[in-house]
Amino acid sequence: MSRFFATGSDSESEESSSADEITPKTSGPNFRQSLLLSDDEEDTKRVVRSAKDKRFEELTNLIKTIRNAMKIRDMAKCLEEFDQLCRAFLKSKTIVDKEGVPPFYIRLLADLEDYLNQLWEDKEGKKKMNKNNAKSLSSLRQKIRKYNRDYETEIAAYKENPQESADEEEEKEAEESGSSSGSSDDEEEGGEGMTAKNFLKKEAVPEANKFLKGAKGSGDEASSSDDEDDEDWGEDSEDSGSSSSEDGEGKSSSLACRFLKKTQEGEKGLDKKREQRKKKQKKERLEEEAEEEAGEEGEGGWEKVKGGVPLVKPKMFAKGTEINTTVVVKKLNEILQARGKKGTDRAAQIELLHLLAGISGEHNLGQGILVKIKFNIIASLYDYNPNLAAFMKADMWKKCLECIDELLDILFENSNIFIGENIAEDSENLAIIESQPFRVRGCILTLVERMDEEFTKIMQNTDPHSQEYVDNLKDEGHVCGIIDRLLSYLETKGSTEEVCRIYLRRIMHTYYKFDYKAHRRSLGLVAETKSEQDQEESEGEDSAVIMDRLCKFIYAKDRTDRIRTCAILCHIYHHALHSRWYQARDLMLMSHLQDNIQHADPPVQILYNRTMVQLGICAFRQGMIKDAHNALLDIQSSGRAKELLGQGLLMRNMQERNAEQEKIEKRRQVPFHMHINLELLECVYLVSAMLLEIPYMAAHEFDARRRMISKQFHHQLRVGERQPLLGPPESMREHVVAASKAMKMGDWRTCHSFIINEKMNSKVWDLFPETQCVREMLVRKIQEESLRTYLFTYSSVYDSISMGTLSEMFELELAMVHSIISKMIINEELMASLDQPTQTVVMHRTEPTSLQNMALQLAEKLGGLVENNERVFDLKQGVYGGYFNRDQKGSYQQKQGGYQRENRGGYQQRQGGYRGGDGQRGGGYQGGYRGGYQGGNRDGNQGGNRDGNQGGYQGGYRGGYQGGNRDGNRDGNQGGNRDGNQGGYQGGYKGGYQGGYQGGYQRGGGGGGGYGGYRNHQNRDQSNY
Amino acid sequence: MSDSIFFISLSIDLSVLLNHGPSAIGPSRFMRSKGLAGQGPPIMYLIPITFVVLKIIKHYQEEGQGSEVVQGVLLGLVVEDRLEITNCFPFPQHTEDDADFDEVQYQMEMMRSLRHVNIDHLHVGWYQSTFYGSFVSRALLDSQFSYQHAIEESVVLIYDPIKTAQGSLSLKAYRLTPELMEICKEKDFTPEALKKANIGFEHMFEEVPIVIKNSHLISVLMWELEDKSTVADKHELLNLSSSNHLEKSLQLLMDRVDDMSQDIVKYNTYSRNLSKQQQQKHQYVQRRQQENAQRQTRGEAALAEEDITKLFKPPQPPPRMDTLLIAGQINNYCQNVKEFTSQNLGKLFMAEALQGHNS
Repeated sequence: MSRFFATGSDSESEESSSADEITPKTSGPNFRQSLLLSDDEEDTKRVVRSAKDKRFEELTNLIKTIRNAMKIRDMAKCLEEFDQLCRAFLKSKTIVDKEGVPPFYIRLLADLEDYLNQLWEDKEGKKKMNKNNAKSLSSLRQKIRKYNRDYETEIAAYKENPQESADEEEEKEAEESGSSSGSSDDEEEGGEGMTAKNFLKKEAVPEANKFLKGAKGSGDEASSSDDEDDEDWGEDSEDSGSSSSEDGEGKSSSLACRFLKKTQEGEKGLDKKREQRKKKQKKERLEEEAEEEAGEEGEGGWEKVKGGVPLVKPKMFAKGTEINTTVVVKKLNEILQARGKKGTDRAAQIELLHLLAGISGEHNLGQGILVKIKFNIIASLYDYNPNLAAFMKADMWKKCLECIDELLDILFENSNIFIGENIAEDSENLAIIESQPFRVRGCILTLVERMDEEFTKIMQNTDPHSQEYVDNLKDEGHVCGIIDRLLSYLETKGSTEEVCRIYLRRIMHTYYKFDYKAHRRSLGLVAETKSEQDQEESEGEDSAVIMDRLCKFIYAKDRTDRIRTCAILCHIYHHALHSRWYQARDLMLMSHLQDNIQHADPPVQILYNRTMVQLGICAFRQGMIKDAHNALLDIQSSGRAKELLGQGLLMRNMQERNAEQEKIEKRRQVPFHMHINLELLECVYLVSAMLLEIPYMAAHEFDARRRMISKQFHHQLRVGERQPLLGPPESMREHVVAASKAMKMGDWRTCHSFIINEKMNSKVWDLFPETQCVREMLVRKIQEESLRTYLFTYSSVYDSISMGTLSEMFELELAMVHSIISKMIINEELMASLDQPTQTVVMHRTEPTSLQNMALQLAEKLGGLVENNERVFDLKQGVYGGYFNRDQKGSYQQKQGGYQRENRGGYQQRQGGYRGGDGQRGGGYQGGYRGGYQGGNRDGNQGGNRDGNQGGYQGGYRGGYQGGNRDGNRDGNQGGNRDGNQGGYQGGYKGGYQGGYQGGYQRGGGGGGGYGGYRNHQNRDQSNY
Repeated sequence: MSDSIFFISLSIDLSVLLNHGPSAIGPSRFMRSKGLAGQGPPIMYLIPITFVVLKIIKHYQEEGQGSEVVQGVLLGLVVEDRLEITNCFPFPQHTEDDADFDEVQYQMEMMRSLRHVNIDHLHVGWYQSTFYGSFVSRALLDSQFSYQHAIEESVVLIYDPIKTAQGSLSLKAYRLTPELMEICKEKDFTPEALKKANIGFEHMFEEVPIVIKNSHLISVLMWELEDKSTVADKHELLNLSSSNHLEKSLQLLMDRVDDMSQDIVKYNTYSRNLSKQQQQKHQYVQRRQQENAQRQTRGEAALAEEDITKLFKPPQPPPRMDTLLIAGQINNYCQNVKEFTSQNLGKLFMAEALQGHNS
C-alpha cells in the first residue's frame, strides 16, 4: 500500500510542473507536457517540437502500449506494437546515432525479453493462452532474441545495474537537453528547473505512465500481477522518486489537489475505452454547463466553464484578455489548425467552436464573425465522420440542421453580409465597421448541398421498414425548408450558377413526389377540407408549375451539362408521374438523351433509368402499350432492374466486384422512399408484353423466323409450362402467365379475371393513382387483343364470321370490331374481306396450311443441312480460306442494314421496327425458300456467299432480337455497339414447334458505314433461349 | 435405288392375310436379296404365327399410348434357315415405384413358367412398338447388339401401331449387319473407325423378310369371318385424310434434320480444328528441322526430339455413331413418308375418278 501511495505522490509531483505551466500561459512549448499526458489534448495546440522530441515521444508511446499489453498478457498486441516500435526506432536512427540509444528503449528490450522468457517457461500459463496469443508469443520471443543481439552490451549493462544505468543516462540526457533547450524553449527559467522539466518531458512521462499502469495493474488484477511487475514498479518508483525530489521545490500546494484529479484521469487514460467514456461524460458536462452559461450573463458564466473543465479549455482565453475580433479570429484559426489531424477529438473541436461562437456573441463582435464561426461549426460537423461511407448520428444531424437554420436566419436578417467562396481569407471583413458590409469567406450552398447528401446517406443507412426511417423521413420537410430558404436567399444574392445548383436541389426533392393536391384539383374535386391546414396546403403552388419554372431556368442558364441533364430527366419523370405523357415523351425525344446517356456518370444513368421506367409506366396508364413496352424493355430484359434503378445490389454480382466497388455502388443507391415498385414495374412490363406478344404469336404460329418481342415474357411462359402441376396462380407472374394462356385461346373473360382481381389489385393496380382508369383501359385492351388473337388462331376454321357475333363474344361495340378487323386486313395480317351488307368477315384462305408451312420449314432446314455438309466437303478440299472474304460479308450485312437500323436505336424508332417485322412476313417464306437455314451456328468464318442465295432470308432472321440486350446500365462499354450498326442480341430461331432457340451474342466492332463490321465474337448459346 | 437392294420392306395387310391365308403370299416376294445372300446369316426369314402378331398388337393396344413404346420378348426356334416365332410375352411397363425391378429375373421366370406348360422357350429376340416409324436409336442399337451378341439369331420386330390403325399391318424384322456388330464390339465410334469399316447408314440394319403363318384351323375360321364382316370395317384403308400423319412425320423428320445439322457443325468444327493443328504441327516440325540444320552448320548439337503428340494434343473427335443413327432414322422417315404419300396419291386418284364418275 505504501508503494501505492508513493506512486501517487510521485506522479503528482511530476506532473505538477507541467500543470503549473498550463494555467498561466495559453500557449507555448511548455504546453507539450500536458500533451504528452493525454492524447485528446495533444493536437488542439500546434506545438513546435524538435525532431528528437517527436521521435522519442513516438517511441515512448509505443513502449507504453507494449507495457500495457504485457500487463494483460496480450501477446498479439505486444508483437504488433513491437514491430511498430522497431520500425519507429529505425526511423529515428539519425537521432539515435547522435544521442545514443535511449535508455528507456534498452530497458524495454531487457524487460520484454525477461518477461517473455518467463512466460515461455510458464508451461501452464502457456496452455491457457489462446492459440493466437501463443503463436504471437513464440514469434515475438524469437524476434526479440534476434533483435537484442545488437544491443547486448547495453542490455548487459542495464541488467547489471538497472537503476544506476537508468539514472545515469537520464541525467546525462537531462543535461544534454538542458543545454540544448535554449533554442527550443522560449522561456527563461532557472537552469535547474529547465533540466527538471526536460527530464520530465523525456523520462517522467513514460515512467509515470508505467507507474500508473502499475498502480492500476495492482488494483485491477492484483492476483495476476507477477514478479516482473513488482520489479518494474520498484525501479520506477525509485527513478521517479529521485526526480520528484528535484521537482518538489517551488510547486504550489494549491495545484496539488488538482493534480490528484489529473492523476486519476491519467490513470483512466490508460484504458482507451474508459477514457472515451470519460470524455463523453465530460462532453455532457460541458454541454450542460454551456447551457447554463447561455442562461447566465457576463463573465461569470464563462469563468465557470473554464473552471469546470480545466483540461479542455485552459487555453481559451486568458482571464482578462480583451476579447475582440482579431483575438477571436486568431483563436478560431488555432482551433481549425487541428482540423483533419489524426487524433484530433472532433467532438471537442465542435464544442470549442460552439463556445467561441457563444463568446463572440456575448461580446457583440458582430454578425460577421458569428457567420464565420458558424460556417466552421457546420464544416466540422460534417468532418465528424472520418470516412465517407459512415452517416451522421442523429444528434449531430439535428445540430447540423439547427446550425444551418441559424446561419440562414443571420443571413436573412443582415443583408449586409457578403459570403462567397472566392473572397480571400485576407480580404475578409469581419469587424464591425460602419457603412461597410461584412465579407465572409464560405459557401453556404456547398454546406447545404452537403447537408442534402448527408440526408440521403442517413436515409440509405436506415432500415426502410423501421419506425426510425419514418422519423428520419420527417426531416425531409426540414431539409426542403432549408433548401427553399436558401433558394430564396440565393435568388436575390447568388450567381446564376449557384441558383442553378440550388434549383436542381429543389427539383431533386420534388420530382418524385406525386402531387395529390394538384391531382385532386384537376379532378375537379372541391376537396372537402377536413382541416384548415389541408386547405392551406392545397393552396400552394402546383409542383408542376414549380418544376416547370425551375427547370426552364436551368435549361436557359445552366452551363454545366450535368445539371441540365438531371433537370431534364427530373422534369420528364415529373411529367410522367403525373400522366402528362406527351409532354414527357416530347421532352425525352427532344433532349436526345438516349443517344448519349451512356457517357454520363452512374448516378445520372440511374436517374435516366428511373425516368425511362416512369415513362413506360405512364405510357401504360395511358393505354399506349407499345410505348410502354419499348420504354421498359431495356430495363427489364437485362434482369437487373433492381440494380439499374439503384434500388439494391444483386447478390450474384458478388464475385464480380470487390468490396470497394460494392461500397461505391452502395452509395449510389436511391433512398427507399424514392423507389419505384419493382413488382409494379415487372407487372406492367409483362402485361404489355402479353398484349403485344400473344396476338403476334397467334399470327405467326408457323413462321419459322418468328421473332420474340419480349424475351422476358417468353421466359415466364416457359417457366409456367414447365410446372408439372398447375395450381391457381399465386404470384403476379403466375397471374400474367395464366392470363396469357387464356388469351391464347381467345378467352378474354378468363384473361380478364386473371389480370384484374383482388390479388392483383392489391399487389399492383392499386398502386396507380388513377386505378379505375387503368383497369378500364386494361379490360378494353384485353378484349381487343383477345379478339385479334381469336381471329388469328381460328380464322382457318371459319369460312365467314359475323361481326355481330364477334362483338357479342368480346363485348366490344360493332364499330370497334369493324375497325380492328379492318386494320388487320389492311396490315395483311388477316386474309379476309368485309362483306358490308351482311356485316360478315369472309375468309380468303391464302395462308399456307400447316402442312405446307411445315414443308417449307423442312426445306429451309434441309438447305442448311446441305450447306453444312458442303462445308465439310470444302474443308476436305481445303478451299475454305476463300470464304473469309470480307467484302462479301460486308455487302451481306448491308442488306440487313436497313432492317436492323429500324429495329434499334431510340425507342421512338422501334415502332417502325415492329411494322417492319410485320411487313416482312409477306415475303417471308419465299425468302426462306431461297435462303439456307442460318442457325445461330455460323462459326464466323463462313462467308456465306454460296450461290448468293441467302440474302433476304437472313435479313429477316437477323432482325431477331436486336436491341434487346441493350444494357440499361449503359456502362459505357457498349458505346461502340450503339453507334456501330451491328450489335445487340442476335437470336436465331430453331425449330418452331420445339421452342428451342439458338442464340448467339454478337458484337460488332463499330465498323461504321456499310461494312457492318466483321463478327469478332460469337458464341452459341443453347440455353433455354 | 440402292436402298431397295438391302431393304425389302413389306407390310402385310391383315385383311389380305385373312382373306387368303399364307398361301397367297408367294415365296418369291420374300426371297432374300443378293446383298444378304452373300453374307450368309443363319436366318432366311421369319415366320411368326398369327397368334404372336395379335399378341403384340394387343399388348400395345392395352398398354402403349402415344409415343410410349412397349417391348417384349420373342420365343421360338430355328428350323433350317427359318426362324419361327411361336410365342412372345411382354415386358411390364416401367413405373416409378418398381425401380428395382429385375428384368432379367423376370425373363427367366417367364421362360421357366412357359417351359412348364410346354411352350417353346427359346429366346430368339424381342419386339418393340414404334411411333411414326421412329425406332432407330442408340437404345435400340445397344440392346439389339447385346441380344445378337448373346444369341446370334436374335431379331428385333418393330411394330408400327399407327400404320396398322390406318389399315395395313406394319411389322418389320431387323438385325444388325455383321459390320456393325464388329464396330459395336470394339466400341470405337470415331470417324476413322467408321470410315475403315466402310459403313453407312444403309449398312447398319438388315431387314429380314417375314412370313406370317396360320394354322389351318385358323385359316378356316378366317374364311368364315370374312363373309360375316361388313364393308365398314375396311373403311380405314380408304381414309383420304393425310395431313395429320404427314405433319407428324415432317415434324419428327425436322427434328432429326436439326440434330443432324448440329452434328455436322460439330464435325465441321472438329475437322477444322484438326487441320489447323496439323498445319501448326507441320510448321513446328519444319521450324525444328531448319533450326537443327542451322545448328549443324554451326557445329552445335541438334535439339532434342520432343514428343510432338504431347505438344499438339489432337482434338477430341466427335462420336459419329449418333449421326449414323440419325441418318438411318431420317432415311426411315423418308421411306415412311414416301410409302404413305404414294399410297395416298393412289387413293386420291381413285377418289377423283369415283367423283368424276358420279357427277
